[in-house]
Amino acid sequence: MNRANAVIVGAGAAGGIVAKELSTAGLSVVLFERGPWYTPADCRKDDLRNQRTTVLGNAFGPEDRGFPRVVVDAGGVARIVRPSDNAYQNNAACVGVGTLSYGAQAWRYMPQDFRMKSVYGTPPGSSLEDWPIGYEDLEPFYDQAEYEIGISGDYAPDPFHGPRRRGLPMPPLPPNREWEILEPAARRLGLHPFAIPMLRNSVPYNDRGPCMRCRWCVGFACEVDAKNGSQNTVIPQALATGNCRLRTRCTAMEILMDESGHACGVEYIDENGRRERQLSDIVVVSACAIESARLLLNSKSRLFPNGLGNRYDQVGRHLQGHYYTGALGYFDRDTYDDIGPGASIAVCDYNHGTPGLCGGGMLANEFIRLPIHMIDRLPPGTPRWGHGHKQAMREWHRRTIIVMGPTQQIPTAEARVTLDPAVKDKWGAPVARIQGNCHPHTFEIGTVQAQRAQTWLQEAGAIHTTLMNSRPQMISAGQHQAGTCRMGTDPRNSVVNQSCQLHDVDNVFVIDGSVHVSNGGFNPALTIMAIAYYASGALLRGWKGARYRS
Amino acid sequence: MAGTASAGAICVAGCSCRSSSRWEFLSDAQAETLAALADQIIPEDDFPSASQAGVIVYIDRQLMGPYRRHRDAYQAGFESADRISREFCGVALAQAPPPIRQEVTSALAEQRSDFFELAREHIMEGYYGSPRHGGNRDAVSWRMLGLEEPPLRGRAKYDLSKGAGS
Amino acid sequence: MEGRKVSIMKRVLLLVALVAGISLICAAGAIGGATYYYTSQRGAGCAGCHEMADTVCTVHVSSHRTVGCFDCHSTGLATKLRHVAVHLSGRLPEVIRLRDVNVVEMTAKCQSCHQREYATWSAGPHSATYAQIFTNAQQNAARRLMDDCFRCHGMHFSGPIGEMVQPLSLEGPWRIVRAGFAAEPTMPCQACHWIHREGLPATKPTAHFSVAGARVGESLAFFDRREQMHFAIAELPLPQIFDGPRPVGISPDQRQALCYACHAPRPPEAGSAAARRNWGVQAGSGDDRTPLGVHEGISCFACHSGHGEDTRASCATCHPAMSDCGQAVEKMDTTYANPASKHNIHWVKCEDCHTRGVPKPLHRRSGL
Repeated sequence: MNRANAVIVGAGAAGGIVAKELSTAGLSVVLFERGPWYTPADCRKDDLRNQRTTVLGNAFGPEDRGFPRVVVDAGGVARIVRPSDNAYQNNAACVGVGTLSYGAQAWRYMPQDFRMKSVYGTPPGSSLEDWPIGYEDLEPFYDQAEYEIGISGDYAPDPFHGPRRRGLPMPPLPPNREWEILEPAARRLGLHPFAIPMLRNSVPYNDRGPCMRCRWCVGFACEVDAKNGSQNTVIPQALATGNCRLRTRCTAMEILMDESGHACGVEYIDENGRRERQLSDIVVVSACAIESARLLLNSKSRLFPNGLGNRYDQVGRHLQGHYYTGALGYFDRDTYDDIGPGASIAVCDYNHGTPGLCGGGMLANEFIRLPIHMIDRLPPGTPRWGHGHKQAMREWHRRTIIVMGPTQQIPTAEARVTLDPAVKDKWGAPVARIQGNCHPHTFEIGTVQAQRAQTWLQEAGAIHTTLMNSRPQMISAGQHQAGTCRMGTDPRNSVVNQSCQLHDVDNVFVIDGSVHVSNGGFNPALTIMAIAYYASGALLRGWKGARYRS
Repeated sequence: MAGTASAGAICVAGCSCRSSSRWEFLSDAQAETLAALADQIIPEDDFPSASQAGVIVYIDRQLMGPYRRHRDAYQAGFESADRISREFCGVALAQAPPPIRQEVTSALAEQRSDFFELAREHIMEGYYGSPRHGGNRDAVSWRMLGLEEPPLRGRAKYDLSKGAGS
Repeated sequence: MEGRKVSIMKRVLLLVALVAGISLICAAGAIGGATYYYTSQRGAGCAGCHEMADTVCTVHVSSHRTVGCFDCHSTGLATKLRHVAVHLSGRLPEVIRLRDVNVVEMTAKCQSCHQREYATWSAGPHSATYAQIFTNAQQNAARRLMDDCFRCHGMHFSGPIGEMVQPLSLEGPWRIVRAGFAAEPTMPCQACHWIHREGLPATKPTAHFSVAGARVGESLAFFDRREQMHFAIAELPLPQIFDGPRPVGISPDQRQALCYACHAPRPPEAGSAAARRNWGVQAGSGDDRTPLGVHEGISCFACHSGHGEDTRASCATCHPAMSDCGQAVEKMDTTYANPASKHNIHWVKCEDCHTRGVPKPLHRRSGL
């Protein structure tokens, strides 16, 4: 068995970048991914079986059999959920992970997002903290992610973003009809609307062509390969170095420890269901917040009886995602033009600076809705079935706009991932048990955000609006999951240091959304990517080779 | 080889005797009950009703697949629908006249029974979802909503060999 | 001892031979019986398995109702055994449909009746093979191979691009990796024809190429790869197309919807004048060939024949030999006469040649 320099668990936004950075630097890398390498042919724009509408299952994993989780509701009742159940808080299990099927909004967090405690203080009962690093530390790596993965957009009209060293490599896609309706309205309200930055080719870039403007982005894989994820950028680059081996359908079960308290590799289940070991100098955990925490917790040993990095019971805590709120506007004219990706316009006026609120969030129009999404989004008072419902579908499907956004969650230590004491996955390992919710102040922020979205839609001429701010009964993590292995300087309230290295074990790194201290009022993908570049750089600078094990 | 062929022939012969229903999971009677309900949820107007658009095919197929877990709910639901119908007019839902069907559906809806919510959701999926799963025949509901199917999209003209895109 | 051994051996051998013989007879009987069972009664045997019943019913109301299942579909033992295996396992596909290899086989079956159409199609551009489309060095160096190529070139192939051609680089050299597909057509008959489509058996000749009152063939339909099903042309969209801000007139000939499924325009490109001024989809963008100028408003089928897409002698359908300005239209400087001409026949305007003003038509000058 060959020892590798590095084992990386999870081929997503972060894992792919770390694999590319390390293998380009000459290290030998084995990149484990529990899912297969899916292509658009595996889903073919199926509106009932994709990664967002999953009534007939997940298109990009995990499959429904064998990989349950346990979720505990507000009343303390636990239930076993399958991966295609919304409560599962799924991201994906495939090469690229979330980046294969995301909408590809690519936001930098704002400088205040890294200093939430300093700016707002800590609401009682919350675990709101500052990051140990700031926007300025990540800026070069945001830039690297934007140029290497490939971003289109135009930040010029937005006065709220942090300092940038340069513009974006691709112009925004031309406006769609919703832009035409929302943009002047936002200006009339004194807002600063601009084109959503997206990891999507608007012109040929990275030797691939531009978006074909179909409306099937979120939940689907791109047939023209214009949506940029790790599966069509950094992972092929890593493989091309000859130093990186990608092991698909291989699930890491446990990080192996030697007698001196250093990691020496991982135990995994290979594509044929056999239990194997891969030895390595370092282990990088990039399995998304929930599974990264689970892997650390499942790595129990004589020296680390509570799991790796869990000396102070911090692994799995502060689980976050986003509480999405907004409003749905009904118009007296067509708003729908079938021009993808649909989401086109955003404002960042409401992310910070509202007296009485700890932050806020970005507001944007929604990706284009499919008929199946409209069933229960008709105006209040519409019959739920019969002629009236059918008629309303016809009347409103092309005449609605949704404006919404990710409300910055105020984290709590009680929203957490633990191991379920009873339920095991098909390989016999305890599954993740998810419980708790974000701090109630989050819902107050979310409701204000929903009202702001409503005002924008009314100004745009909506003849009727409804708020979308129902309060979730449990943490809403899902594709935006973050925060289970907090970055910090104090081992008593964090899991990794500023270089994403476990406080307890210097050759185990957690590099993904898990390390987010707070999760911004934005889609987190670009920040996860920036952290991956940042942490890879730190890792390479401090590379100790085989001495990691001594 | 020979054994397989014989087994195959026997099986084929056997099949022709027991192909009583055109449905994969439902019995003919259950399919009629479901159609009676589905056509109340999505009735015919200028556009087809749920059953005309293949919604029963959709649900029947999914009950062999991912909706296997809902089989019991459907079995129990059909019984309760028929029971309500019998209380109203003495016959099962599929045999009841249209006004009674509507009353039965209203009764189920007012109860907000799990079965009604489940069936409503599945009927909507079958009608407004992708035609590849057996419902939304010829994408009729999408055209009803004014959506083009298949969408028209030409390919971009660019030439990476001349240096574009790097 | 020796003798007894021999006789035991003999007996064993005899028994083995007997069993083999009986098995062989049984097998032959089973195969023969099954073949007869399937092929007789115009598909009733096929319909016996409930999975097939719907499909068989469909054929019986289709324009191909007079054709038996096995005039088109494989009767091979392997196929039947596969069907039996799938049936017994219960792992049925959600929808029963032809596999890509079956579609490939069918093209020859179509030819056995539709010889003239097949001949025209094979001589035209729409019979391009997988090798011709996917290993074209000029094309592959300019645009990266992707799954969406199959939307129009290889719609019956359901896998990802990497299972058809390798490498997916801009450098090549490229080769078809799917065995047996290199020389097969990417746009087979079923790209545009729905064989099981409901309709009446056709009486020949079926071709009606006049623009006015064109009869729409019942089998005309586009095979959509996403849904893996045909959409009849009556249900396919005709786009609204613009020339700058001006809406372009398009012939109402619904048969064109089939052409537009692939020869489609694109929304304005990022950074283009059309995007800046927010015009609609532009004529000539993407793969669009909507006629502008002198030919605006006429149907694709006014010039292009149905199967070979050739335009031989098509000018004469509308034009007298001489044009308004006294020149033979077929000899004018357009891509019709010379593919290298800078005046594309789809978009040519009088002003393209008459740069100093278009003269009045001859017939008006002569007072006719």
